[in-house]
Amino acid sequence: MGPGFSFPRPRRRRRRGSYCLGMIEAHGLTKVYGDTKAVDGLDFQVKPGRVTGFLGPNGAGKSTTMRMILGLDLPTSGAVTVNGQGYRGKVWPLREVGALLDARAVHPGRSAYNHLHSLAAANGIARARVDEVLDEVGLTSVAGKRVGGFSLGMSQRLGIAGALLGDPEILMFDEPVNGLDPDGILWIRTLMRSLAEDGRTVLVSSHLMSEMALTADHLLIIGRGRLLADTSLADLIGRHSAERVDVRAADAPRLAGDLRAQGAGVSVEPDGTLQVTGMGAVRIGEVAAARGHVLHQLRDVTASLEEAYFRLTDDSVTYRAPAPGTTEFAGPSPVTAASAPSAGPRAASRISEARA
Amino acid sequence: MSTINPSRRARAVLASEWIKLRSLRSMRASLAVTAVFSVALAVLVCSNWAASWSGLSAAQRAQFDPTDTSLNNLQVVAVFFAALGALMVTNEYGNGLIRSTFAATPQRGRVLAAKAVLFGVGCLIAATVITVAAFAAGQSVLGSRAPHAGLGDPGVLGHVMGGALYLTLAGLFGLFLGAVARGTAVTVSALFGVFLVLPILVNSLPKDALWRHTVPYLPSNLGVGLWHTHGQFFVGPWQAAAWLAGYVAVIAVVSTVLLRGRDT
Amino acid sequence: MTAAGLRLRATAGSEWIKFRSVRSVPAALLATAVVVVVGGLLVTAGFRSGWSTMTASERATFDPTFQSLHGVELAQLFVGALGVLTVTGEYTSGLIRTTFAATPQRAQVLAVKGLILGGVVWVLCTVASFAAFFAGQVVLTAPARHASLGDPGVLRAVFGGGVYLLLIGLFGCGVGALLRRTAAALAALFGIVLVLPIAVALVPGVLGARLNEYLPSTAGMEFWTVVRTGGDALGAWPGLAVFALYVVATGVAALLLLRRRDV
Repeated sequence: MGPGFSFPRPRRRRRRGSYCLGMIEAHGLTKVYGDTKAVDGLDFQVKPGRVTGFLGPNGAGKSTTMRMILGLDLPTSGAVTVNGQGYRGKVWPLREVGALLDARAVHPGRSAYNHLHSLAAANGIARARVDEVLDEVGLTSVAGKRVGGFSLGMSQRLGIAGALLGDPEILMFDEPVNGLDPDGILWIRTLMRSLAEDGRTVLVSSHLMSEMALTADHLLIIGRGRLLADTSLADLIGRHSAERVDVRAADAPRLAGDLRAQGAGVSVEPDGTLQVTGMGAVRIGEVAAARGHVLHQLRDVTASLEEAYFRLTDDSVTYRAPAPGTTEFAGPSPVTAASAPSAGPRAASRISEARA
Repeated sequence: MSTINPSRRARAVLASEWIKLRSLRSMRASLAVTAVFSVALAVLVCSNWAASWSGLSAAQRAQFDPTDTSLNNLQVVAVFFAALGALMVTNEYGNGLIRSTFAATPQRGRVLAAKAVLFGVGCLIAATVITVAAFAAGQSVLGSRAPHAGLGDPGVLGHVMGGALYLTLAGLFGLFLGAVARGTAVTVSALFGVFLVLPILVNSLPKDALWRHTVPYLPSNLGVGLWHTHGQFFVGPWQAAAWLAGYVAVIAVVSTVLLRGRDT
Repeated sequence: MTAAGLRLRATAGSEWIKFRSVRSVPAALLATAVVVVVGGLLVTAGFRSGWSTMTASERATFDPTFQSLHGVELAQLFVGALGVLTVTGEYTSGLIRTTFAATPQRAQVLAVKGLILGGVVWVLCTVASFAAFFAGQVVLTAPARHASLGDPGVLRAVFGGGVYLLLIGLFGCGVGALLRRTAAALAALFGIVLVLPIAVALVPGVLGARLNEYLPSTAGMEFWTVVRTGGDALGAWPGLAVFALYVVATGVAALLLLRRRDV
């Protein structure tokens, strides 16, 4: 598929048949491999009408949990139900739950059409639906081609098509934007939001912080197999990240002293920027003007999901790379209201798009 | 840009293939299983002969050859070696590692040669150990009750080494066939067909002129020529070795040509 | 139709689409048929051209039916590999997770896979066996002996070629489901079917012969043989029963383990 290809806009779908409450519930879900607890006593509910983001460091147990929801792995203890029933007891599961776990899990010699056709047939889904779904993800032109020749983006879209086949109430996506170009990322984000607005249950597992911030309404954060947070996005950001104002001035040290004297918390960045907490931009401007400072920059920095996430999962990261420029493994310094993390990727952390 | 010394490059490829080979647990496990199987089979066969020796007729006793009897298992062990050789290549195709390998070393012929050299040397050592062990175990079981042979006896060492050579060449044949076919299932099936089933099919046919000019040149029958003491219909040892080496060379050339021309 | 019946029909439909939509499957089936016929021709031609060099006892024990079907022994490699791949192919690509997510009734999935493969193989190989038989008998002109379908045991033996390959295919599916990895399953299948008889045949005397007769492939082979050789040979039907028993045992073990294992 070349560039310049556009995705069809996702349509609002009429829900067929009776509306059934699409809920995933886990009680004490535990999975032990040998002596490692991959998943440790998870209790959560994934509710309809919103996008629930499944966040966590690598190895935290997200994929294992998703596999247990789908009845692929047996829990060591505890249970998880979908619509009040264990997955393995369902007769037509694809009509209730659609999942994308691994885009590459296809037979390379089969055509896209036949792959979806075999999936549809397994749950008594009409053949016409295969064409519909291929059209929705934009793969109609390559329906007859071998899946082995697909790019990663095309395989992702095929996987999404498979998840949509049964027009299910519940959708689960594991890293859906992996391999998609910007067009595709926008498309899947819109798709997920529209599915949630339809009243469906959407569970997304992703590492892409910025995408998660734009897509998810509710978050389940796990680390080392344990549930760290089960909260709405807004609450999480509010509780765990620092609101601050970045100030640049001609005489930064003196301004810092003046602001501290007024009760603000000030930390000085290496490049001279003052990060001020506990005082609004308006007040800072007034103080600066009163003391005769020349300001070069006065900027509100609103909180980001990434910041909140790092603070929350700080001690749960199993596999951590050393910060660039350091030679030893180092985590972020202890977080206080007055300082920002001094290590770790900060590229997108300062600006987050305002959510409506 | 400085040119890299070709011998340094060769050493680099060899080193990388060696690391890959020795870190493969399944390869070692398979080799261990093969060794155990070979020795066990030799012991089983020889112990049965020893146990039933007293009941045998004079004609049967005259036909008995201790060396042959403890090396008989080579017919079967050769397929294992061939399959191991095939896996060295087809495994990489199967898990996609072949792309990194060819990205690291674009001279694909070199990669294949390095694999072949390493596997061949390793095979020769392993095969020698296995053949000697099986032979010795079998002979010690034959020990008191039936005639047995020792490594020092005339011609015996030649037969034992011939067996080891057969196993090595079978392994290399498998390796190059794996590079041609690239799929595990296809290659392993083909190897079992060529080394085990084809001989079953044609060996017991009446031995007319056509038979005598074709059947003894099957790889497995050439192998028999290498380790068998009385090869009435089989090719003599030196000829057999030459023919087998020839087969391996042909398939090596074919696989190298194909490897260069194809996508991965 | 009952709910369970609908569920089964859906699984069958899905597995049939999977079976017919990959190029390598019809190719392997074609190769199987060709090998059965060509292998048989090769062997019968060899016997025909060398008839004059055979001893009297060899001529007496010559089995024209068995020799014309001898290609089956080579074809079992293809069929066995196909059986293994039907299952392990999905494990290798990871498709098995999607399959079990669509159909949580795992035993049904495996059983249907086996039935589809078995059915197709049976029909194809029965046709191929008959073709090989007739072609072989045509080649076996005088003075070589040839057989005709009316002779005792011949019809059973020719059908037996197809039945034997059916069981090999199912055996492959079972071993593949137990071991889940292509290389290991192929090694195990071929080890049991090919290597074991050769290894056991090396053991001299009564023990070797007895043991050999109860090995799966040796026992199964009795079903497409007409002339009995050796005193302790199982008969055709007992031989088939022994082989079928091995296959059923493997299948049952696979079906039971499938439920408890993670995917």
